[in-house]
Amino acid sequence: MKKRKMYFRMITASLLRRRSRMVIALLAISIGAMILSGLLTIYYDVPRQMRAQFRNYGANMIFTATGDSIIPEDVDKAAALIPSDKLVGMAPYRYDTVRINDRPVMAAATDMKGAEKTSPFWKVDGDWPAQSGEIMVGKNVAETYNLKPGKRVTCTFAPEKEEEKGPAAEAGENQGGTDQAAEATTEEEVVLDNYIDFTVTGILDTGGKEENYVYMNLQDMEELTGKETVYDICELSVSANAKELETIADQITESVDGINARLVKRVTQSETTVLTKLQALVLLVTVIVLALTMICVATTMTAVVAERRKEIGLRKALGASNKSIIAEFMGEGLVLGAVGGLLGSILGFVFAQVVSMNVFNSSITLMPWLVPLTVIASVLVTGLACLIPIRSAVDVDPALVLKGE
Amino acid sequence: MFVRMIAKAFLRQWKKMLLIAFTIALGSSLATAMLSVMMDVGDKINQELKAYGANIKVVPKDTSVLNELYDVGGENITGAYLKEDELGKIKTIFWAFNIVDYTPFITAEASLDNGDKVDVTGTWFNHHMDLPTGEALDAGVASLRSWWEIKDGDWIDEQAEDSSSLAMVGAALAEKEKISVGDTIHVTGSQGENDLKVAGIFDAGGEEDDLIYVTVDTAQALGGLDGKIDSIEVLALTTPDNELAEKAAKDPGSLSVSQYETWYCTAYVSSICYQIEEVITDSVASAVRQVADSEGQILEKTQLLMILITILSMIGAALGICNLVTASVMERSQEIGLMKAIGAHNRSITGLILTEIMCTAVIGGVLGFFAGMGFAQIVGHSVFNSAISMRPMVIPVVAVLVAIVTLIGCIPAIRMLLNLRPTEVLHGR
Repeated sequence: MKKRKMYFRMITASLLRRRSRMVIALLAISIGAMILSGLLTIYYDVPRQMRAQFRNYGANMIFTATGDSIIPEDVDKAAALIPSDKLVGMAPYRYDTVRINDRPVMAAATDMKGAEKTSPFWKVDGDWPAQSGEIMVGKNVAETYNLKPGKRVTCTFAPEKEEEKGPAAEAGENQGGTDQAAEATTEEEVVLDNYIDFTVTGILDTGGKEENYVYMNLQDMEELTGKETVYDICELSVSANAKELETIADQITESVDGINARLVKRVTQSETTVLTKLQALVLLVTVIVLALTMICVATTMTAVVAERRKEIGLRKALGASNKSIIAEFMGEGLVLGAVGGLLGSILGFVFAQVVSMNVFNSSITLMPWLVPLTVIASVLVTGLACLIPIRSAVDVDPALVLKGE
Repeated sequence: MFVRMIAKAFLRQWKKMLLIAFTIALGSSLATAMLSVMMDVGDKINQELKAYGANIKVVPKDTSVLNELYDVGGENITGAYLKEDELGKIKTIFWAFNIVDYTPFITAEASLDNGDKVDVTGTWFNHHMDLPTGEALDAGVASLRSWWEIKDGDWIDEQAEDSSSLAMVGAALAEKEKISVGDTIHVTGSQGENDLKVAGIFDAGGEEDDLIYVTVDTAQALGGLDGKIDSIEVLALTTPDNELAEKAAKDPGSLSVSQYETWYCTAYVSSICYQIEEVITDSVASAVRQVADSEGQILEKTQLLMILITILSMIGAALGICNLVTASVMERSQEIGLMKAIGAHNRSITGLILTEIMCTAVIGGVLGFFAGMGFAQIVGHSVFNSAISMRPMVIPVVAVLVAIVTLIGCIPAIRMLLNLRPTEVLHGR
């Protein structure tokens, strides 16, 4: 019992008395530990964070109808099958041909909040439509009719039988192969045209076919066509890797009758390619940085211990056994390693958090298991680094050392 | 005498010096590797993002406003086309070097023997071009549609003799019409007919699955559209947009002369579009926002991430070196005390120690620099399968960093030791 007490006293006294040297050692260890825990946190969190960035490419899953069209209940049912933390956005679309100045224009009705999430790359000059009576027009439509945000435009819809197969079919083709809109238009027999006065809130610039459409809210479309809301297609943006996506899609197609879920290959495939590369990059960088810093820590520890040869010599002269000297030095090293590791893992987390806030504007997930890992790693490195110089010091003849070599 | 003292110090204390040189080498290799990777990561990720396909689409001026609005499905009627013989000019614009890939499309309506209508699209697959600059370029959908999954067969090889009678069929169409690889399908267009041998079946996961892809000449012959092109897709390496680029994209005329020059000579997607419009008659080139926008964002994030990781590792390397130098100077208290006791000036002691350490630092730094270049190449080859290009800027940055860090490590320790009294030190405190 007394022996152990003495042992602790020797370690603490030695740490306290040689303050400047110990600060140096502690600093070295905590830097190493900080880099270890910081980089590992980033490495594990990068795929999640980057995946969110890749959602900027837009929808990676679409629902098409197995029958004529998708009914809203089916979409809700299908959406419930996707884990809510993975679902970034969902926008159901309904297409129909309306007339502006007696010329046909494809109109798309959607949930604007959802569309803003599934198509983050859409550049809107002005604002997104927020309430009923507001409309967003594609750039080409705006040019043709000379529309600007704030201007008013009247859309009419003629429910009588007319040959509108063409545009609807084209729209179907664009969005995944449905042409129910055309069949639907021919059903009702009302002579009067429906019309709504819209205010243009924004001009849509995408560089794609969307520039030829006008976008309105679902209620407006319902009112304009006089038909209940059904969807032609539903776009989803899901934050998951290719395998998870495939499982989700299969599950939805199987369990929801009215929906056929498909992946947008272009987006999912390319995301996997790029993300794999990125993760490999961070991994390799982490490994190289870690290896180099650990060696750095080890050399510093070696230097700190090596200068204590005299002390070792004195102890040996006083009759200490090699074993007890090694035990004491190792004890010191371990205390330093543990404290440095703990300090470093906190600093590392702070660093990872700073990186995450700066790069991705979101906070990082804390991984508690990293703390013990960092502490163990730094204790090991410190222990190894101390062991080598102590062993060579212990073998020296005390008389020689005390004399000054 | 000075030189002799330093030489002696190196010879006698080579173990300690080796440790210092080793640590400095590690630090400088870390700095070199991280800096080179960081500076090159933008280009590398840009190359990877090519997987998303074209970021610029060129269409004829008239169609861009009217075609899809009014003449739905009647592309043959509007008569607005681009000229095939102008395609080569895209590789002659100011930013030609940044144009990585491009391909034309021409669609002809045709029918199969059973009366089903299909769209036959002519395009390049692996079109080989010898450019006036002496370079060669292989362009076409084989690289621009990297996400296509070839279910059966293979891509059409344009260099093959019979390439004009080959076709690639979309998976959806192939399933519907029960077409498999090796079959011969007879297509009749408005101006011609042809027997096509199916070379491959692809799954594009989109609307393209209903199309037949053939070479440009074949599609033109079917529709009687000699020398005409519907659209061109261009893949260019671009710089992420900033305010200037956005202003210019709206109206290049609104810029001042110097702004215009800056914009024109920067690889913004809008300036590349503008330059393409200059060489292709009656064309409108627009950025495919889905690709162009996202690319910029991902690029920015990756670069920022790498910069921060680089800063962290530089701090680590700097503190590591600093620490070791301080530790090794401090253990020489006896030596310094002795020198002072026999009458050395503070300045000459400082000079001696600094020169010793700086010599070690130079050796370590140079070795570390080359090791770092090696590490950077390891990263480049194992992650991106290509070498990381070395920027000359890395050299001065690393040199200055090592020098400053070593000095910072030495000076406080030396000053502290100089303040000690020689008698005390020599006595063993």
